Amino acid sequence: MTASFSGVQGKKWKGEGTTQNLESIVIGRCYDYIRIVNPAVGEKNCSQIWEAFKNAFINKDPCSILPEDYELFINLTLHMIPPNKSLFWENNQLLVNSFADRGRRFMSLGDTLFGFVADFLYWCGQADSPGLDYESCPTTVECENNAVESFWRMASITYAHHSSGVIHVLLNGSADGGAYPQPGFFADYEIPNLQRGKISQIVIWVVDDIEGPDIDSCGAHTVKTLETRLKTLGYDVTCTDNNKSVMFLLCLDNPDDSKCALASSAPAAQRGPISSDRGGSWNKLMFVSFASFLFRFASVF
Amino acid sequence: MPLPQGSARVRQRTVLLVGIAVLLAALVLAVVLASLLTHGRHEVSPQMLKWKDRGTTKNLQEVILGRCYNYITAQHPELGDKDCLKIWESLKDAFIYKNPCNITPEDYQPLMELASHPVPCNKSLFWSKTGDLAHRYTKSNQNFLTLEDTLLGYMADKISWCGDPSAPGINYESCPKRSECESNPGSVFWKMASKMFAEAACGVVQVMLNGSVEAGAFRSSSIFGSVEVFNLDPDKVSEVHIWLMQDIGGPQSESCSGHSIQRLISILEERNFKIICEDNYRPVQLLQCVHSPDHTDCRLCTNSTAIP
Repeated sequence: MTASFSGVQGKKWKGEGTTQNLESIVIGRCYDYIRIVNPAVGEKNCSQIWEAFKNAFINKDPCSILPEDYELFINLTLHMIPPNKSLFWENNQLLVNSFADRGRRFMSLGDTLFGFVADFLYWCGQADSPGLDYESCPTTVECENNAVESFWRMASITYAHHSSGVIHVLLNGSADGGAYPQPGFFADYEIPNLQRGKISQIVIWVVDDIEGPDIDSCGAHTVKTLETRLKTLGYDVTCTDNNKSVMFLLCLDNPDDSKCALASSAPAAQRGPISSDRGGSWNKLMFVSFASFLFRFASVF
Repeated sequence: MPLPQGSARVRQRTVLLVGIAVLLAALVLAVVLASLLTHGRHEVSPQMLKWKDRGTTKNLQEVILGRCYNYITAQHPELGDKDCLKIWESLKDAFIYKNPCNITPEDYQPLMELASHPVPCNKSLFWSKTGDLAHRYTKSNQNFLTLEDTLLGYMADKISWCGDPSAPGINYESCPKRSECESNPGSVFWKMASKMFAEAACGVVQVMLNGSVEAGAFRSSSIFGSVEVFNLDPDKVSEVHIWLMQDIGGPQSESCSGHSIQRLISILEERNFKIICEDNYRPVQLLQCVHSPDHTDCRLCTNSTAIP
């Protein structure tokens, strides 16, 4: 039934198919994480982890996968998230990736073992077949309970549940529809699973794209909604617009924008780049010395 | 001749004694054999050579394969024709069962051929004593590539490996430091990979150097100074841009007019490259400021943060 579907009507689903070599990538990333990225998590059985991951969605209708199906996978990959290191985000994944600095500054979901092995990958199975579907996978619009969506819901729930201390949220003040999207992962799966007793403060950062519009900011629109919600839940909340560190990171792609001009750049600009011609001041000295040496040498003869 | 009863008993006793002796001998032989075999299986490590540096990374095969597939599948689909299994096999064959002080470039030739790929012009970024900063930069700015952003460098970054003549051929306990022997698997690999990375560079190339180290920003003993500089191809590379980065709030040991930089410039000029040197190249300095946003060197010109 499923085979004739894809043959007659083209691709079954609208989303990208399973990433090629998924098993090798997941197992490889798992060992990469425990041996090199974050050996502090200790010994893990990466083959077992792959099996648990796979069994969550193979041999099932690809629209019937629930977050709980990944429970064994989560149990096998769970590790402590250091206090004050959690970084939640919306609409700025690449920025967060850079800013978190592979767990050194912050440990975002993508820097945990369970997030690390699956980040940027696609996967889905098929009913009545142990194989992965490499052609296409359902998008969340086609069906909510798909393998990838349910994975990230489960991962987000877990990440929020194990976060503690001061937690940070990085939001995009230039995003269409507002910095705090509803529905969204942060709104629906992370906030409800934060443990109030373990959290001392929630710090919200709203950062606009360097050349982007200022659609949202602290105390306004969707961010105000978020602040109110968190305060009502009993959290100590602070909010800052355009945090400097994050802005510097955004400036990398727009170094000449006026927002990115450094006060200390002036003296450097005066010195200016030294080209190979300027470096000739040393060469000139050499030349003069050599010439005078030749002159002296010639005068002997 | 009929045997007297006494000698029959003696014969019985003799047979018994001989039987017991044979049994004992067999037992002793079995014990000796068994201990030899188990000795061989458990005591492999002490037979291996001992070195001063960390041993081969555990699960090396899985990590290398995973990184290879990750690189060609998720990050660079244009390299989809690379055979990761063959690449792993060629890496393994380069060092397994060999004395780790006897590695030659020829050992790595098959791997280099299988895993090398062209680098777009104007994108090569070399570095010396600035690894952390250079890699953070290329992670945020895809316009430049360091060696560690190519397939070969990506697979091998932060990993160690070495072999040993005795089974299982890979030494997970220790590997030679450069000071113990230069022709060790890691050093030979990185020297070769660096040479090829330099040879592949074209157009404008960039190099990030550290203006806060006491020993000088450019050192002839570094891989950049001893291998990469001399393997840039003057027929392919038009210009060399030097980015001389000083630590924010750190010592200003050297700038573009400093001694070692002048030495580098003369070496490059001799090979007919045009050179531009820039102190604290701004985009990279912005990246440094991410770490130290409140330092006076990172003060922004505008005091207002949000545009109304």
